[in-house]
Amino acid sequence: MTKKRKLRWLSRAVSFFRNVAGNQRDELDIAAEVSAHLDLLIEEKLRSGMKPDEAEREARIELGGVEQVKEQVRDARAGAWLDALVRDCRFALRMSRKNSGFTAIVVLTLALGIAANTTVLSWISATLLNPIPGAAHTSDLVTVDRGDRSKIATPPFSYPDVRDLSEGTQTFSGILGWHDDYMSLTGVAKPERIYGALTTASYFDVLGVRPILGRAFLPEEGTPGAGAAVIVIGYAVWQNHFAGDPQIVGKTIQINRHPYTVIGVAPRDFTGCRTGIRTDLWIPLSMDRDVWGSNRPDYRSVVWLNVIGRLRPGVTKNQAEAELNLLMQRIVKRFPEDHQDRSNELSLDPLWRSPFGLNGRLYKVLPMLLGLAGVLLLLACANVASLLLVRSVGRRREIAIRLGMGASRKQIIRQFLIESLLLGLLGGTAAIAITVWTSRSIVAFFPPSSLPLTHDEHIDQRVLFVTIAVSILAAIISGVLPALRSSSLPVQSVLKEEATSVSLTLHKSRLLSGLVVAQISLSLVLLVCAGLFTRSLQKAQQSDPGFEASHLLLASYELSPAGYTRATGPAFDRQVLDRLSALPGVESVTLADFSPLSFSIHSDYLQIEGYVPQPHEWMEISRAIVGPNYFRTLRTSVISGREFTAADTAESQLVAVVNQAFVDRYWPGENAIGKQVTDSGARFTVVGVARNARYRSLTSPTEPVIYLPMYQSFRPTMDTVLHLRTTGDPRAMASSVEETIHQLNRELPLFNVNPLSVTMQLGTLFGRIAATFAGSFGLLAMLLAAVGIYGVVAYSTRQRAREIGIRMALGAEKGGIYRLVLGQGFKLTLAGLVVGTALAVAFTRLLKAQLFGVSETDAITFASVGLLLAVVALVACHIPARRATRVDPMVALRHE
Amino acid sequence: MSPEQTNLLQGTLDMVILNALRLGEMHGLGISRRIEQISQGTFVVKSGSLFPALRRMQEEGWISSAWGESETNRKAKYYRLTKAGVKQLEEETAKWERIVLGISRALEAS
Repeated sequence: MTKKRKLRWLSRAVSFFRNVAGNQRDELDIAAEVSAHLDLLIEEKLRSGMKPDEAEREARIELGGVEQVKEQVRDARAGAWLDALVRDCRFALRMSRKNSGFTAIVVLTLALGIAANTTVLSWISATLLNPIPGAAHTSDLVTVDRGDRSKIATPPFSYPDVRDLSEGTQTFSGILGWHDDYMSLTGVAKPERIYGALTTASYFDVLGVRPILGRAFLPEEGTPGAGAAVIVIGYAVWQNHFAGDPQIVGKTIQINRHPYTVIGVAPRDFTGCRTGIRTDLWIPLSMDRDVWGSNRPDYRSVVWLNVIGRLRPGVTKNQAEAELNLLMQRIVKRFPEDHQDRSNELSLDPLWRSPFGLNGRLYKVLPMLLGLAGVLLLLACANVASLLLVRSVGRRREIAIRLGMGASRKQIIRQFLIESLLLGLLGGTAAIAITVWTSRSIVAFFPPSSLPLTHDEHIDQRVLFVTIAVSILAAIISGVLPALRSSSLPVQSVLKEEATSVSLTLHKSRLLSGLVVAQISLSLVLLVCAGLFTRSLQKAQQSDPGFEASHLLLASYELSPAGYTRATGPAFDRQVLDRLSALPGVESVTLADFSPLSFSIHSDYLQIEGYVPQPHEWMEISRAIVGPNYFRTLRTSVISGREFTAADTAESQLVAVVNQAFVDRYWPGENAIGKQVTDSGARFTVVGVARNARYRSLTSPTEPVIYLPMYQSFRPTMDTVLHLRTTGDPRAMASSVEETIHQLNRELPLFNVNPLSVTMQLGTLFGRIAATFAGSFGLLAMLLAAVGIYGVVAYSTRQRAREIGIRMALGAEKGGIYRLVLGQGFKLTLAGLVVGTALAVAFTRLLKAQLFGVSETDAITFASVGLLLAVVALVACHIPARRATRVDPMVALRHE
Repeated sequence: MSPEQTNLLQGTLDMVILNALRLGEMHGLGISRRIEQISQGTFVVKSGSLFPALRRMQEEGWISSAWGESETNRKAKYYRLTKAGVKQLEEETAKWERIVLGISRALEAS
């Protein structure tokens, strides 16, 4: 039995392919057989004595229609459905070519709606879903963090703790730790700053990254005291600095003027563990002394490592978290004095919301944008549905004829859905073309900055797959209503009545009105979100940062790679300041080890006179090292005491300035002047209190900051950032500043020469992304809604041409007609605004955390958006209303 | 259609056609006349049912076809049973007899 089944199936399958392949011959064969059959029938009738014409008539009656029989045979064929599908597709293509204008509008609408989604999705795919390009199975990787995520993103672990945790754990197959910062590639013609990392030896093995040349670190190479001067270089460094030298492994290169043997080259796509920030060099952390002149790996109290671990198969995050906390408690018990400053509670996070890199913020922003894009797509679907519905009315006669000819309801629905599927897929294809371009657009938000930001731009299969799925979904959503409506036509009445019968359009126009209301309300939601984000961004940009950013030029250099020491560095800095302040167009000049709002401020662990920290209070506080005249140049006022001068040197008393937030927090109600603060064993006396300034983010609350004078706390390894207040355009000063520096030292590279107003854009990166995209979604939504309401009002006005004609014939005035049409549009708009406001109130609650300085139910935003939409909708209705007043009653009545 | 004529039961058309072809190859009109004749006019097979059924059975491999000439020298397509067709007919007939037996027993019992 089964064998026979198989044979039957095979025979049918062979027929299937023959039918699909050889359609033409088969078609002729069917025709020949049916006509031969008819001939035989006629002959039979003739023989029974009928007259020729009677015989033919009878034969045809008995046969029941040549075409019908042929059609029935075709339907019996294997693969008939495919045939029908091809036919429907051809028809759909013909229809879309015939109405190319209509097709273009629908495809464009769908393409924009879909592209909004795929753009956001391509970012999600490149960041949240692909947190570490090049690493294996990133879903098994978790970040390990300590304590509640503090605002200061100091790496949370000491090396001995990381070592003990990774030796003790059973739930992780491996744990890695790293510390990243700028290093200098030296010993080459032009020294260059490259972002590099000191890592545990386990780094590459835990990530599952295999060098494309050479090898990764050996366990012993990472052991402090016994480490080896080896380095793995990134693909870009290999290509750009060593011309892709295939013999690079085994050669020696210099980092921060120390030699390292190249042991491997990382794969092209691997750029380290921080999403969005590229690392290009990896050195075992045992080399800390050579690279940065410190020996942090020796101390359990020095936290400087970020940690990522790979879970063993089958271990859950919670199990691992419980085990790690147990291990940590044991460590704390053995070394209580090294762990008293900070919470010892460990928490694990999946990489998509890793606190290291961009994901920590993007995981909140991107899903929200995806939600907005989803709303936009829904609106586009409603728009297309209303267009299709209007068009289907025009096609009513065609459908009625097909139903009358014996087409089933199913066939009509299939035909309609195939037509909208075709439109959807065309829209999807266009959307992919748009996305190829927009997926790169996120890069446009990155200002030139000191951070090595990177973005993976290619559109992956995941995005392509979802685009196709979304196109089909959109096609079905927008096509199903018109299809159902059109297939249930009462054939008789349609064929009898004229195409513009009023009774039939009534229930259809109720559906149309619903679609218009939906479009207006959804666009209100999007516009409100756009408005809120824009106002929030404006508030952030207008908020007083505590310094004056305009007319400030920044320029950075690094002294230690150029051979300067603690002894020679300050003298060079002094020379630079003297020369620059003499330049025409420079009002004042200073230097600092950071620049505001570019994630570059450092922090130190402080002991504060008279303040007793809470148990586990983390006393790491923002610390700025600044030159003389810093406060004057930045225009941050000093409230009491004095600011630093050139007289604050290594020989004079150690002094500090603190900000108001520092005083409020640690010495509330007291006079800060004269109090002492201990930083790294040195005691500084406070000589001034400055106004609060925001250095990390424009939107977070001000935090305590301590300022130390450059010449007292000089460290050759730090970046030196020149701040010049110019009288004119700061950009114009760039070349003369560079010249001046090069006159002093021809070898010293100057980098990040930019106005502060440009670099501080990084501080509003996420706000700008949200505002720009919500804004463009909102404008697009408004446009679609305007087109939607225009289309429907224009359509129904045309439907009512006869009625309007009669009214005018009966003496109605033009103004009355105008108000009639406009009133219809206004009613729809009003309904849309009411529904939209309710939706928006529900929706914007989700945005609360992302807004700054504006309430999520901000009345001004809601009111102005509502007003804007109402005006746009009325303008859209004005056109058909005007046209209605020009209806010639005679023409309208005769038209029927 | 006269009142005595009955539509064939769903699924029995194949069996009736295969049975008609048992006596030798035949063209479409021949098949439908043969069925009318055997059933003494009870069953009329319309062209719209006959040709699709022939087509389907051919694709199943139960019958084969070839162009030939009729008794009156007209072009016609002739159908013949294949081995698989004979077997199919036997199975269908056996199944049918079981059904008929079952139904008549059920009717007698009441």
